[in-house]
Amino acid sequence: MKISELEGKAGLRALNEYKDREVESVYISDMVSDIITSAKRNSILITLQTHKSLIAAANLVAAAMIVIVKGRIPSDDVVELATRTGIGLFTSDLDTWTFAKKLVQLGLE
Amino acid sequence: MSACRHDWFMCNLRHGFLVVEGCWECGARSSFFSPEPVPPIDEYHEGRHFWSYMGSFQTLKFDLECRACGTRVSLDDVNGLMLSECKDPDCQVGALNNQQGPGSLVYVALCADSTHTMGECVSSGGVEALNQYFNRNIEDLGRRVIVVPCKMCNSVDKCRGTVIVDVGLTDIE
Repeated sequence: MKISELEGKAGLRALNEYKDREVESVYISDMVSDIITSAKRNSILITLQTHKSLIAAANLVAAAMIVIVKGRIPSDDVVELATRTGIGLFTSDLDTWTFAKKLVQLGLE
Repeated sequence: MSACRHDWFMCNLRHGFLVVEGCWECGARSSFFSPEPVPPIDEYHEGRHFWSYMGSFQTLKFDLECRACGTRVSLDDVNGLMLSECKDPDCQVGALNNQQGPGSLVYVALCADSTHTMGECVSSGGVEALNQYFNRNIEDLGRRVIVVPCKMCNSVDKCRGTVIVDVGLTDIE
């Protein structure tokens, strides 16, 4: 599924301009040390975190998009950095579990 | 030179703390990795330095091993990675940043001694392996990760960047 398709189906709000890529997997974590070791290329990262370190780590694992749950909004410099990397940055009002269930319903596992 | 087109994977993962110390005598900074569950905060005297605890962050260390030939590269001398945001044209890292197009980001591999007075920094073999590892499957994405040793910074203590450590965990509501 493409990021843009997921954006519409999952009710996400885009925070930046992004490269529309095919997403292939999902990873949930609030720790960058965990993301660096375990997240996969073209993955969706689901997190509560909003700091720059998150983008720096997501870029190293070639994540496709980041979804920040519970309606949290990162600062402008974080959004700007995400745009530089091409990673799609989104926010969802849902909590992590509810959003994860939604992804499964959409066929992403 | 190895003929192997290395297929690196992370190994020997160690979770712990990146502990940062400062010398109140000369202003130098030092850092080390502590695998202890609680990071040490002792003050001590070492040569001309008087080290005081400045802070600690949860992080991890790892080595790289090649699936194809079994070569293992120790990254013990890498205390962290910092995404550089330096734009100073008089700094080698800043100049490198200024040359990059969209999608290419420069990361600085941080060694323990920011002053580099002993002439040591992250090994060239470690930097080369990190570059190969982080670029192994992103060419088609138009992205590039450039890892450089921190001795290329004019002053790593004053450099603009984001060190990859776990922060913000106390901010989560």
